[in-house]
Amino acid sequence: MLVRGSGSCIVIALLGTIGVAIGFVGAVGGVITLVSALASKREAHHRRAIAWIFLMAGGCLLAVVAMEIGLLRDDFSMQYVASNSTRSTPLLYKIATLWGALEGSLLLWAFVLSGYVTAVTISFRWQIQDRLVAWALLTILVVCIFFFGLLVGPADPFGTLPVAPLDGDGLNPLLRNHPLMAIHPVMLYLGYVGFTVPFGFAVAALVTGRLGEGWLVLTRLWTLIAWVSLTVGILLGAWWSYEVLGWGGYWAWDPVENASFLPWLTGTAFIHSVLVQERRGMLRVWNLSLLLTTFALTIFGTFLTRSGVIDSVHEFSASSLGPLLLGFFSLILVVSVVLIGWRGDELRSPGSIDSPLSREGAFLANNLLFTLFAFIVLLGTIFPLIVEAINDDQLAVGRPYFDRMLLPIGVALLLVMGIAPVLTWRSTAGQTIGKRALVPAAIGAVTMVLALMLGAQGLGPVLGIGLGGFVVGSSVRHLFLAVLRNGWAGITGRAGGGMVAHIGVALLAFGFIASTSFSEEGEFQLRPGDRGSVAGHEITFIEIVDEMDGPDRVVRARINVEGRGVYAPAITQYPTFGRPISTPSVATSFVDDVYLSLIAIPEEGSDVVVVRVLVEPLVAWIWVGGLVIAGGTLLAMVPGRRRFSAFVEEIETEEAGL
Amino acid sequence: MKARHWVSWLCVVFVSSLALVVAAIADDPPATEAERAYEIKETMLCPVCDGQNVLESNAPVASAIRAQVDQLVSEGRSDEEIRAWMARQYGKDVNANPPRTGIASLVWAVPVFFAVLSAALMVSAFRKWRVGRGTEPSDDDLEIVSSLRERT
Repeated sequence: MLVRGSGSCIVIALLGTIGVAIGFVGAVGGVITLVSALASKREAHHRRAIAWIFLMAGGCLLAVVAMEIGLLRDDFSMQYVASNSTRSTPLLYKIATLWGALEGSLLLWAFVLSGYVTAVTISFRWQIQDRLVAWALLTILVVCIFFFGLLVGPADPFGTLPVAPLDGDGLNPLLRNHPLMAIHPVMLYLGYVGFTVPFGFAVAALVTGRLGEGWLVLTRLWTLIAWVSLTVGILLGAWWSYEVLGWGGYWAWDPVENASFLPWLTGTAFIHSVLVQERRGMLRVWNLSLLLTTFALTIFGTFLTRSGVIDSVHEFSASSLGPLLLGFFSLILVVSVVLIGWRGDELRSPGSIDSPLSREGAFLANNLLFTLFAFIVLLGTIFPLIVEAINDDQLAVGRPYFDRMLLPIGVALLLVMGIAPVLTWRSTAGQTIGKRALVPAAIGAVTMVLALMLGAQGLGPVLGIGLGGFVVGSSVRHLFLAVLRNGWAGITGRAGGGMVAHIGVALLAFGFIASTSFSEEGEFQLRPGDRGSVAGHEITFIEIVDEMDGPDRVVRARINVEGRGVYAPAITQYPTFGRPISTPSVATSFVDDVYLSLIAIPEEGSDVVVVRVLVEPLVAWIWVGGLVIAGGTLLAMVPGRRRFSAFVEEIETEEAGL
Repeated sequence: MKARHWVSWLCVVFVSSLALVVAAIADDPPATEAERAYEIKETMLCPVCDGQNVLESNAPVASAIRAQVDQLVSEGRSDEEIRAWMARQYGKDVNANPPRTGIASLVWAVPVFFAVLSAALMVSAFRKWRVGRGTEPSDDDLEIVSSLRERT
């Protein structure tokens, strides 16, 4: 067994190493070819780069397949498999172990990046001799070189052990008790890594001096794909931590969460302000800066999470990659600043924003708010590090800080989101606003009254809910008019899809506000047959189920939630992991969630359990809102609106004239 | 705008303000000891569990801190006293809310500074744009005017 295992493993590890090496060589070859092609300007020369890119992608695929084979065959003489997998790990989690630890997660990064490069290459294969496309590919390939370089050297996933252990150590138990482990990281990486594509085109636009709107149009779809993947990835992460971590929350302002949130914030600012540039040719420097910042923040986030500088539940093991990632981040910053400084004069756009009460004005406000939001998140995340560096003082910046600073910005964003659709480009007459915003504002007022009748209280939460109603009102108004004009094509395109996404944001805001402001909790010590009650929900403890699952002791408490059925929160003692891990059980509905978790592992033979019961209203709407946002973004990708755009503009100007 | 619109807007504004006032009045500050203890626990980090607060953490030290908070609250200590006591006991980084004194106050002040600065920049930018628009007609404007003149 041992001999067979290690023998096949050497082959597999070797295949993986070769795959990574091929990837590295492919990326380097691609860069050299493109550089010489750009110098020679010959089309055939450019085409040769395609072969290098495919070679790189093939090598990476080989490495990923090798790793998966190693994981599925339990080849514990591969160090990565031995430290992160066990024989008893279920199939799904064996596959997902690829991204469960540092080296593998970088392999996934390289894999996703290769996928994007290949897709970009294929979709631009007839324009590859175009200098803009060539420079974009060149930039993306340089990023590939960096990541393959990490895999070849300091983060080699295919190291082998001289003697294979009989069984591996396995992942942290928190990473192997929910199927979202298989989806969330991949989704997040699709978003994170996806921003490399528009970044490449932005650099290319700066280098070639083709600073018009061409590169924006080329990358619009790619940016939206990256953005929606990141959005869904973040929300799936929130859902996962809600279902798994057992404290009943979904967002903790943890540094790793912030690291994924930062590029989302600047990316969101970008997908909005880009509309101003497409329409009016303005904000060019700003848009380029946002995109370069977004990409730089993805690398910075990777540095934060993989260098061991911060404490977090999501953190990867401390590694030597810190200086390399920080160096790459600095390089990106320097290149970005130099490029923008160099092209600064050509980037100045002639137009001006005539009035703050205009579509442009709203987009500008949106951008200021998102940038400020991102700045506060960044500052709060790294502030403890700064203070420690300056005077060796330990302090924490936690949820109360982020809530205090960011909730007002969130409220302001809702306000802008509600007003923007009723504004016209250039400037809007007060009368027009008065006429168009009346119904949405009335809907907002009614929402507040309804919220009060349902028991909401507090100025902030009720205002937020009212503004959410306002957003829904003005988005629905916009969609309604668009559908009247264009039929169902009215809900597609950037305007239509965008409005659908805004409705999703409002639903998410309802869920967020209600669940954070109006949750109630209770802690009960129960014997079988005992009852407890929180916020009108009766629970009855039925029985305790104490069993061994392999080496792990799993204690389940079967609890009946009145009107919802029987739920069984569990708590597990893993022999390889210190304190017991509590696995909550959630009775979900569209009204409220009853969240049950066991506080401590009961003594053996005892039938008393300590249960924490949390009743959180409207949580489910956060996930529904996420789905609607994703759907809206997909609708926005449908290019249908362009056909109607001339027609719609006519109508919009007519409307503005009223 | 028609009179009907004014009336409708007045209604909307009235209902909204009323709703907000009711909402604000209904929201009372923490009254009971339990509520006060809850808020303190919510804003204190468990020292061993990577950023979870002591209210939510299952770690033994977190439950010990919860008990200490309950004890100190029942003894009638103020929030500040309890926080200071905890900081002495477990280190300054148990407090999830950074202090507003010393170097830590920067984390509160810098964003406010930037918010004010960017708002001021926006105002001056709009003012500049408006002035620029008002005083000198652009080339496009002149062209339109001259083409119209030629036609007549």
